[in-house]
Amino acid sequence: MYFDETHEAFRASVRRFVDREINPHMDAWEKEGAPLHDLFGKMGELGFLGIRYDPRYGGQGLDYWYETVFIEELGHVHGWGVPTAIMVQTNMATPAIDMFGTESLKEQYLAPAIAGKLVAAIAVTEPGAGSDVAALKTRAVRDGDAYVLNGSKTFITNGCQADFLTLLARTGDGPGHHCYGLFVVPTDLPGFSVSKRLDKVGLRSSDTAELFFDNLRIPVQNLIGKEGEGFIYQMMQFQHERFTVLPMTYTACRDIIDMTVAYIRERIVFGKPLITKQVLRHRLVEWLAEIESLRHLTYHIVRMKMAGRDVTKEISMGKLLAGPLLNRVSSGCLQMFGGMGFMNETLISRHFRDTRVMSIAGGADEVMKDIIARQEGF
Amino acid sequence: MNFAFSEEEIRFRSEVDTFVRRELPPDWDERSFYWPAAYGAIAVFEEEHQAFCRAFLRQLGARGWLSLGWPEACGGGGSMMKQAIADDVISYYRAPSGNIATVIGGPTIIFVGSEEMKREFLPPIARGEINFWLGYSEPNAGSDLASLKTTAVSDGDDFIVNGQKIWSSGAHVSDYAWLLARTDPAAGGHRGATLLLVDNNLPGVTIRPIENIVGFHSFNEVFFDDVRVPKRFMVGGLNKGFYNVMVALQFERLVVGIGAFRRILDELVGYVKERYGRKKDRVKNTLARNALASIAIDIEVLYGLYWQNVWMMEQGRVPELEASAMKLFSTELSRKLAGVAVDVLGLPAQLDRGSLYAPLQGRVMAGYLDAVSGPIGAGTSEIQRGIIATRGLGLPRA
Ligand SMILES: Cc1cc2nc3c(=O)[nH]c(=O)nc-3n(C[C@H](O)[C@H](O)[C@H](O)COP(=O)(O)OP(=O)(O)OC[C@H]3O[C@@H](n4cnc5c(N)ncnc54)[C@H](O)[C@@H]3O)c2cc1C
Ligand SMILES: Cc1cc2nc3c(=O)[nH]c(=O)nc-3n(C[C@H](O)[C@H](O)[C@H](O)COP(=O)(O)OP(=O)(O)OC[C@H]3O[C@@H](n4cnc5c(N)ncnc54)[C@H](O)[C@@H]3O)c2cc1C
Repeated sequence: MYFDETHEAFRASVRRFVDREINPHMDAWEKEGAPLHDLFGKMGELGFLGIRYDPRYGGQGLDYWYETVFIEELGHVHGWGVPTAIMVQTNMATPAIDMFGTESLKEQYLAPAIAGKLVAAIAVTEPGAGSDVAALKTRAVRDGDAYVLNGSKTFITNGCQADFLTLLARTGDGPGHHCYGLFVVPTDLPGFSVSKRLDKVGLRSSDTAELFFDNLRIPVQNLIGKEGEGFIYQMMQFQHERFTVLPMTYTACRDIIDMTVAYIRERIVFGKPLITKQVLRHRLVEWLAEIESLRHLTYHIVRMKMAGRDVTKEISMGKLLAGPLLNRVSSGCLQMFGGMGFMNETLISRHFRDTRVMSIAGGADEVMKDIIARQEGF
Repeated sequence: MNFAFSEEEIRFRSEVDTFVRRELPPDWDERSFYWPAAYGAIAVFEEEHQAFCRAFLRQLGARGWLSLGWPEACGGGGSMMKQAIADDVISYYRAPSGNIATVIGGPTIIFVGSEEMKREFLPPIARGEINFWLGYSEPNAGSDLASLKTTAVSDGDDFIVNGQKIWSSGAHVSDYAWLLARTDPAAGGHRGATLLLVDNNLPGVTIRPIENIVGFHSFNEVFFDDVRVPKRFMVGGLNKGFYNVMVALQFERLVVGIGAFRRILDELVGYVKERYGRKKDRVKNTLARNALASIAIDIEVLYGLYWQNVWMMEQGRVPELEASAMKLFSTELSRKLAGVAVDVLGLPAQLDRGSLYAPLQGRVMAGYLDAVSGPIGAGTSEIQRGIIATRGLGLPRA
């Protein structure tokens, strides 16, 4: 109903890529981290990194439905680290350049990001500014033909491998939200350093870093849009980021359930396959109902986006449903594997380890609730 | 009904407390990742803690604190209450208050073992010198233990054991398997199995590690290939294995590491007091306040179940439904506590243990992973609910 043959052909090509170029490496990448230049290079060649972007910069010029297909298929990856790294490249660090960047920024950064030649990261969070983005302290002070950047960013995905950061910094002290700038910061400039690689419990295949800026001179041309508007741009960019959690979640949840059903069909307990136990069947079915409603909320959001409508509230609602659903499904299915679920390096235990963070990253559940309440005028 | 501790009990609690504080290595907090009512990070199962655990248990043994609950006639202290107090205090410090031999093996041997077995095994168990691992589960027999395939075939004065066990916690660091094996292949279901103590060092025993979700080596798979076990190592009667294991399981379900619940709560409360006092953290503080208040109530409820079980044992009864209820409640509370802890610490909770910046030594995410073992091990939550429904409420079988 939503997808035609061209969508399905595209879906098949993404799926093939996931099955051939990603999943066979996941066990190794969980240990060593995914080599992003290599991976993105291959994806760039296939046109996966610029689905919605302008063909002038190497994009495919396709619509949100194609993007949705792409993200749905990434939900089949065996672990959340790699899809997260990819989503940073396509939906978290580049949408603002696409929407508000100058021609030259697009040529210099967006085009090579689409081609998979440059790895991007989004640098917003700081040790003292997570949910409360406005509290950030990293400062960019205009000095001639440059902004001088000082401060630090933490929990930055792709931070160790990135060639450039899309970075939000304070440019003034005024109250309100009009005193931030969004910049493209190349990581080969003097004054940039990765102060540490953060060793996380989950998403082990993705690298996460703490970054430090010491009098780093960002060329003025690298300002995205207008100087005081960075915060607003970032809030718009967040909508692209948060959306990604939705298709990923319902696809991955369905995979987790399918894998669990395959197991409990074969597992004979008390003389019968476990799947015959009503408590287990009913639990699975409840999740399927929730997965299906999340899928259709997502499709509704895509239709709204296609119609140019504001989807802030609906995306926040979707993310609020997705995080906890993912947790319920991954932990509930793990329970159905019995002792097997407690082994390290089984797929179900990896899902469980990776998914807790989805209720935190990209805006915590409580932050989603705040946004929805505000939108409702409470 | 009297809810107060006696003066002697209060004095004893402080004696144990003083002892543990004195004996624990100063860096124990960085080394022990024990999470309450979970099975994946118990110090006595870990290789690196063996030297300490063995020495510590011997010291407890020397004071008689590993057998406080055993009858005096068996060389014990005759007070379950005192044992429970000691366990509460010691688990608060995430230190071992016993091992499988002291909390499951000894009490079961007292109940069902021969006089010869009591003479041979109880003294070294009480001294903390030997340890057991539980050899029940097999690849195709977990909840449905009656499907087990490991056999012990009679051959003169011995049994010849063949088969495979799995999820065997601590097999690699203990001395004997507490092994359930089929001795009468003709008898099906819950008949025809026998409980045996099998020395890990016998020829034909092979132990292979399995890494658990937390990244620790706590459990194993163990293979028995024509292992010759003298018949005097039989625990309880021939072909009475399932009955004897049911007794042993009641004792196992009583082990909750209850003090460690209080400990985590204290640590979270400390963290919130220290971090979330500022005005800008008001929201996080509100969330933490509600969640921690709810956990505090649950922990009180758990103590209610705990002292009730202890009191029953003090009366010479073996708790059954009460033990199942406490096992179920404590393991699910363990998961809830881990979820709340992750929420309260926020983003830094995701940092791995060993990271300098990880709050509470990174134990919260380790605990979040470990806590899933509680509702699986020692009879899953689904199985416990079944027991309570069938035996407790008399409901028809599903
Ligand atoms: C794996 C991972 C990857 C990440 N990658 C990036 C990245 O690439 N770039 C980047 O900039 N950031 C990244 N982040 C950071 C992420 O976006 C932040 O974690 C998120 O914004 C929440 O901030 P915080 O963790 O500091 O939570 P805090 O702001 O400290 O909040 C802690 C908790 O308090 C509650 N809370 C906070 N505010 C409110 C409120 N107003 N109302 C109600 N409750 C509230 C929430 O429950 C929240 O979970 C990443 C995080 C993770 C875990
Ligand atoms: C950390 C850990 C340590 C362990 N240590 C030991 C040990 O030292 N020694 C030992 O012998 N074993 C040990 N075990 C094994 C444990 O006892 C078994 O995992 C447990 O009994 C479940 O068996 P299983 O793994 O075969 O799961 P299964 O029995 O296959 O069960 C799979 C799922 O189906 C559910 N299920 C089963 N039957 C029903 C039913 N009738 N109705 C509804 N749902 C049902 C279960 O609850 C579970 O969720 C350990 C397990 C863990 C996780």
